[in-house]
Amino acid sequence: MSVGVRTTSPRDLTDLASLTCGYSGPIAFIAGGTDLIIKQSGMDWPGLVVDLTRLSEIGAIRVSDTMAEIGAATSLTAVAAHPVLNRELPVLTQAAAQVGSVQIRNRATIGGNLASAVPAGDLLPVLKCLDCRVEIRRRDGSVQRKGFDELVVGQAKTSLANGDLIARIAIPLRHGPNRASAFAKIGLREVLTIARLNLAAVADFDREARRINDIRLVAGAIGPVPLRLDTVETVLRGRVVGQQLADDALQALVAVVDNTIRGRRSRPYKRRAIAGLGLDLLQGLFGRAFEPPHEMRFPA
Amino acid sequence: MTPKDLPHLPPSEPAFAGFRGTAAPCLTLTVNGREHSVVADPTDRLSLVLRDCLGLAGLKQGCLEGECGACTVLVDGEPVNSCLILVFQVQGRSITTVEGLEAPDGTLSPLQKAFVEHGAVQCGYCTPGMVMAAQGLLNRNPSPDEREIRHALGGNLCRCTGFQGIVDAILSQAAQ
Ligand SMILES: Cc1cc2nc3c(=O)[nH]c(=O)nc-3n(C[C@H](O)[C@H](O)[C@H](O)COP(=O)(O)OP(=O)(O)OC[C@H]3O[C@@H](n4cnc5c(N)ncnc54)[C@H](O)[C@@H]3O)c2cc1C
Ligand code: FES
Ligand code: FES
Repeated sequence: MSVGVRTTSPRDLTDLASLTCGYSGPIAFIAGGTDLIIKQSGMDWPGLVVDLTRLSEIGAIRVSDTMAEIGAATSLTAVAAHPVLNRELPVLTQAAAQVGSVQIRNRATIGGNLASAVPAGDLLPVLKCLDCRVEIRRRDGSVQRKGFDELVVGQAKTSLANGDLIARIAIPLRHGPNRASAFAKIGLREVLTIARLNLAAVADFDREARRINDIRLVAGAIGPVPLRLDTVETVLRGRVVGQQLADDALQALVAVVDNTIRGRRSRPYKRRAIAGLGLDLLQGLFGRAFEPPHEMRFPA
Repeated sequence: MTPKDLPHLPPSEPAFAGFRGTAAPCLTLTVNGREHSVVADPTDRLSLVLRDCLGLAGLKQGCLEGECGACTVLVDGEPVNSCLILVFQVQGRSITTVEGLEAPDGTLSPLQKAFVEHGAVQCGYCTPGMVMAAQGLLNRNPSPDEREIRHALGGNLCRCTGFQGIVDAILSQAAQ
């Protein structure tokens, strides 16, 4: 029984600030609850439990010409189904659509995924890859902005102080015929699976010349925080898509696993997994330009 | 068996929300179209309050971790795991449990009848959750195909039927 615990569902951020401003005790924000309720099971709740699901100011998606702004309390169902995000940022909507089950996605929020910062979080490599800026509201109502790497600083560890609220996640948009992005994940089964490994990519791809002008690649669940794959990007940048490129890319991906998780038991599995995922990712990114006969030639 | 004897609740999880002394406040929930006042700890799981305070024992608390789907109910028409919602979060929302599908005289809904007719029920433990996940799908997509049905049931486990009867039951309800 949680004696002395106050629970509240503020309707707007002004309400929230007036609650938290003069309060110095511990606060638990709860959005979808899909991480927090399991973590809290059998433990006492802190003095103030704040439900975020009624805060319409942080529960919607706004897209302008240059920016997508996603409220932290937006459900992953809403992210996955958003038609403009589907067109502009398939890497994001594909990742959201693969989290948990229908029931989980109806509750789980993008802000909760980010704030939990667990290595297997599917949105983490995506948000790093997309170079997001995170708007944070502090207890006193002041606003801070942080890049992904300033926010997610370790395994399940953020730089948020207790009472800091993630309000919005801003993602810059790049338009034009060359943009491409994709997400690939591997787990034990198709749904309800925590990623054993995932990859997010955005590229500038000249479809006519089949040339990769530029690419950013981030892997998740391979270390405490998402890992930018600079070495693989270097192999891909400026190259024309084809079997040789596929072979070189997979070789570079396997080398990443060899170097990052050298002594770990999961290494033999992750070496193979990353090669298969890499192939899925290239197919997702380059579509018809990357159709079979490209095959997975597993690097030694 | 009393709720206290239920083996699946972790020992520190209060088993019976109804008997909580005077400190527990009164909450208002809208369940199956009716408003109910319940005395419960606001940080109790919705699944616990529905079962133990309101006697809606159709839904089951299987895993309490979002994995099995036996606790599935609809909130504002969408399927969710009621074990992963704190009861105070859904005051004023419209909650539907499996009991809310049948007519006032107890006649089963067409979807529920289809479960019976297609052999989709064996031990019945998963059934209320399955039915609500299916109802949630049909609310959104009145004519799902088999692939869409299987995808929508990804969060619901059944140890008995092998799933085919369940899929057939839902397919029979898909609008032509
Ligand atoms: C069965 C199951 C399957 C799952 N599958 C996946 C999966 O495939 N991929 C995946 O990535 N995750 C998965 N998850 C994990 C989880 O669903 C996600 O991480 C989800 O996005 C968390 O969001 P939430 O709103 O439920 O967070 P909550 O549980 O409400 O909160 C999580 C943490 O974040 C804090 N928080 C939430 N919102 C904010 C905010 N706006 N500002 C500051 N702090 C905040 C809370 O205080 C808490 O500490 C799964 C979980 C379950 C139970
Ligand atoms: S009891 Fe809620 S999902 Fe298993
Ligand atoms: S009928 Fe027994 S678990 Fe599904």
